Amino acid sequence: MADPRLFRLRVTFRETGRLALLSHLEVARALERAVRRANLPYAVSQGFSPHMRIAFGAALPVGVGGTAEFFDLFLTKYVAAPKALAALQAASPADLYPTDARYIEARDAAASVACPISTYEVRLSEAPTALVVPETITVVRKKKEKTLVVEEFLVGPVSHEGDTLRFTLEAKPTGSLRADAFVRELIAATVAAGHAADGLHPVNFMRVDQRAAE
Amino acid sequence: MALSNLWPVVEPLLSRIERPARYLNHEWGCAPGPAEDDFSFCMIYPDTYELGQANQAVRILVNAVNATEGMGAERAFLPAVDMADLMRQEQVPLFSLESCAPVREFDAVGITLPHELAATNVLETLDLAGIPLRTEDRAEDDPLVLGGGPCAYNPEPYAPFFDAIMVGEGEEQLPEVLGVIRTLRAEGAPRAAILRALAQVGGVYVPSLYRWRSEEEAQEAGSWVEPLFEDVPPVVHKRVFEGFADSDAFEPMIVPYTEVVHDRLNVEILRGCARGCRFCQAGMMYRPVRERSADNIVSAVTRGLAETGYDEVSLTSLSSTDHSQIAEILTRVNGACAGQGIRISVPSQRLDSFGVEMAELVAGQKKGGLTFAPEAGTQRLRDVINKNVTEDDLFSAIDAAFAAGWRRCKLYFMVGLPTETDDDIKGIASLAQRAYDRAKAAVPPEQRGSIRMSVSCAVFVPKAQTPFQWDGQISPEETLRRVGLLKRSVKYKAVDVHYHDPKTSFVEAVMSRGGREVADWVEEAWKRGARFDAWTELFNEEAWNGAAEALGIDSAAIAQAEYPTDYVLPWTHITAAVSPRFLARERRRAAEGVTTPDCTFDQCSACGACPTLGADIELQEERPLKEGETRAANPYRVIESAAEGGDAVEAAAPAVAAADGSTATDSQEVR
Repeated sequence: MADPRLFRLRVTFRETGRLALLSHLEVARALERAVRRANLPYAVSQGFSPHMRIAFGAALPVGVGGTAEFFDLFLTKYVAAPKALAALQAASPADLYPTDARYIEARDAAASVACPISTYEVRLSEAPTALVVPETITVVRKKKEKTLVVEEFLVGPVSHEGDTLRFTLEAKPTGSLRADAFVRELIAATVAAGHAADGLHPVNFMRVDQRAAE
Repeated sequence: MALSNLWPVVEPLLSRIERPARYLNHEWGCAPGPAEDDFSFCMIYPDTYELGQANQAVRILVNAVNATEGMGAERAFLPAVDMADLMRQEQVPLFSLESCAPVREFDAVGITLPHELAATNVLETLDLAGIPLRTEDRAEDDPLVLGGGPCAYNPEPYAPFFDAIMVGEGEEQLPEVLGVIRTLRAEGAPRAAILRALAQVGGVYVPSLYRWRSEEEAQEAGSWVEPLFEDVPPVVHKRVFEGFADSDAFEPMIVPYTEVVHDRLNVEILRGCARGCRFCQAGMMYRPVRERSADNIVSAVTRGLAETGYDEVSLTSLSSTDHSQIAEILTRVNGACAGQGIRISVPSQRLDSFGVEMAELVAGQKKGGLTFAPEAGTQRLRDVINKNVTEDDLFSAIDAAFAAGWRRCKLYFMVGLPTETDDDIKGIASLAQRAYDRAKAAVPPEQRGSIRMSVSCAVFVPKAQTPFQWDGQISPEETLRRVGLLKRSVKYKAVDVHYHDPKTSFVEAVMSRGGREVADWVEEAWKRGARFDAWTELFNEEAWNGAAEALGIDSAAIAQAEYPTDYVLPWTHITAAVSPRFLARERRRAAEGVTTPDCTFDQCSACGACPTLGADIELQEERPLKEGETRAANPYRVIESAAEGGDAVEAAAPAVAAADGSTATDSQEVR
């Protein structure tokens, strides 16, 4: 993977507005097309089916946007980072928009695992009087039910100010708790406890930070 | 008038349905929609975004309207079933993408009719939009509902649902039609007056201005429709976009987020195909053949890739490897894309070693599958259908393909072609197995295990405006019997057989051949729940059968009846500019097993398209012949005498356009 002859550009972008409804695959394809439109000297893999050398960060669930998303692009020629950023911006729509680009080392952790700790901010349709954070959440994976213990994934408390929640989840090598599933269960428990009326739902859901594990 | 914005009511639905990316707009390259004072037009594809966004007609027509001063176009698609049901439940009407405006608010809407299984979706579209299904029920302020596309060549099954149906190529016609509507609406003209005026535009059929005759009357009169007014044309000729060859091959394109069919840059390199397969509607309706130049095409590819960021480009047409400069085009496009991981694809391969050479030029290292269409299993039947391809052509293509590294090959056939016998069916098995043997011989022994040959069978659907329009379809039961025979005749494990569901092909045949009474059948089937008929898992056979029973329509007779060539068919008042005499002659030659050459390689076949349209074949160079073939001593000569053909007299000699764009006429007078 780490080819020392290539230049590894880490691009931070935002995924906002309507485009938060795109799937991870749709975002990945859109970003690749933006790179091609930007006419950057991207590396192409060898082999039967040559494709762009690009690696994406951890997926966002459909409906969740982000202000600190990123991908790593491998270039065959050095292009000054501000120049590369400007070219990408000119080739991108406002809701899927690169905000930063900097070179990182070839040996740095892969984009998909570099930042397991994600902080989310959710604005709800109304302000609950209190929150109920469920202790466990049952999810269906590959048609099997699996019970996840919330505190294994939750980093710090769930903060609650008016209609806005903020919380941090850590992805584990063995699996992770999806932010949208967590919020769904949290809302259900909060409504069931009488802290909010039926129909409580997120109106804006964003990942606002991603960082490496301690 | 400004359009309303439904986004605030649409957005909350999107977390409750599949693939919200279908409904978002905001793709790269999308236009802003009409300005406040613009005449507004909504172009609709009557199926989901994944199918419609890839459609060339939608792309071309939206661009054509947007390029017209004072007009603005938007796109709309039929929502998938989950979204459509939710919209009904929440009382959200069909919306356009760009402005997220109710479709009903547009000045005019256009619905393309891409194939015979889209009819119930047209009704689903109108109903979701809140537009009355039938033209007679529409109010003054409802949008004008326009139709067009391949099914316009037999418009009758759709006739009551459309205010006007546009026949032929719409690049120039659609802005003209919209211009007439805009002018008259500005003057406050009533709907009836607008329809009357639309009937005067070339290639426009306004069904409500004709009386539908009984069968007996129709046979007597020579047409099923009687114009209600003197100024309404008795026959509507298709429109042709004469500037096609010289027009820019670059066509602005929207880049979708969600994966669509044919998700790639499409560059149309030529229009029309004159190979003259007798079952093929496309081969009749896009005449004459017009090629764009290599320079035009290569520059469109380069610009298109730069503006879209696509990693694949397809050089589209009905027969791309027939382009007189195809080798040059592919070589230059290859050079322009080198090292960028960009795939180049050429649909519709010519069935010989030249076709394979062209495929190899752009295949790179990855060789997936190649598809060839011999269409019939025996030379006899291939001559009947005028598929001018021999076994040797197929085998030389197979040799070349497998030697070049391909390991999978798909062969397309039709079952139920006119005159087909069990020997022809067994011939399919035999041909596929011998093709497999050839493939095996061309591949090193250790790789032979990976060879796959698959046979894919469609059911013959008789199409309007083709030489086989008078022929019936075989019954679904007979189709199954023939497919069973084919399956039993295939002895090789490595050759697998797939076939198209005869139940849906049956509906296609009824839609293809029916008259105005079929519209009632469509409406009743839709009321009984039929929609998305082209989606195998959604096809609702009960609804169609129940509708036929309830209305007393003998759908089997419509699909299966065979007529003599002097029988007046329900679409006689529409023409693709190919003369009825030519069609009848071709059908007779089919019965005799006599083939007719392609006029872009050889002699003019006097189909009548050029003189009727006042257009010419436009080739960039002389088309290369197959190895060992010689051009007729007197190329471009009419093959049958004027006295016999009648309509051949004025056949203009096809012109060969020189590479510099000027027209060098290689003409022999037609006498």
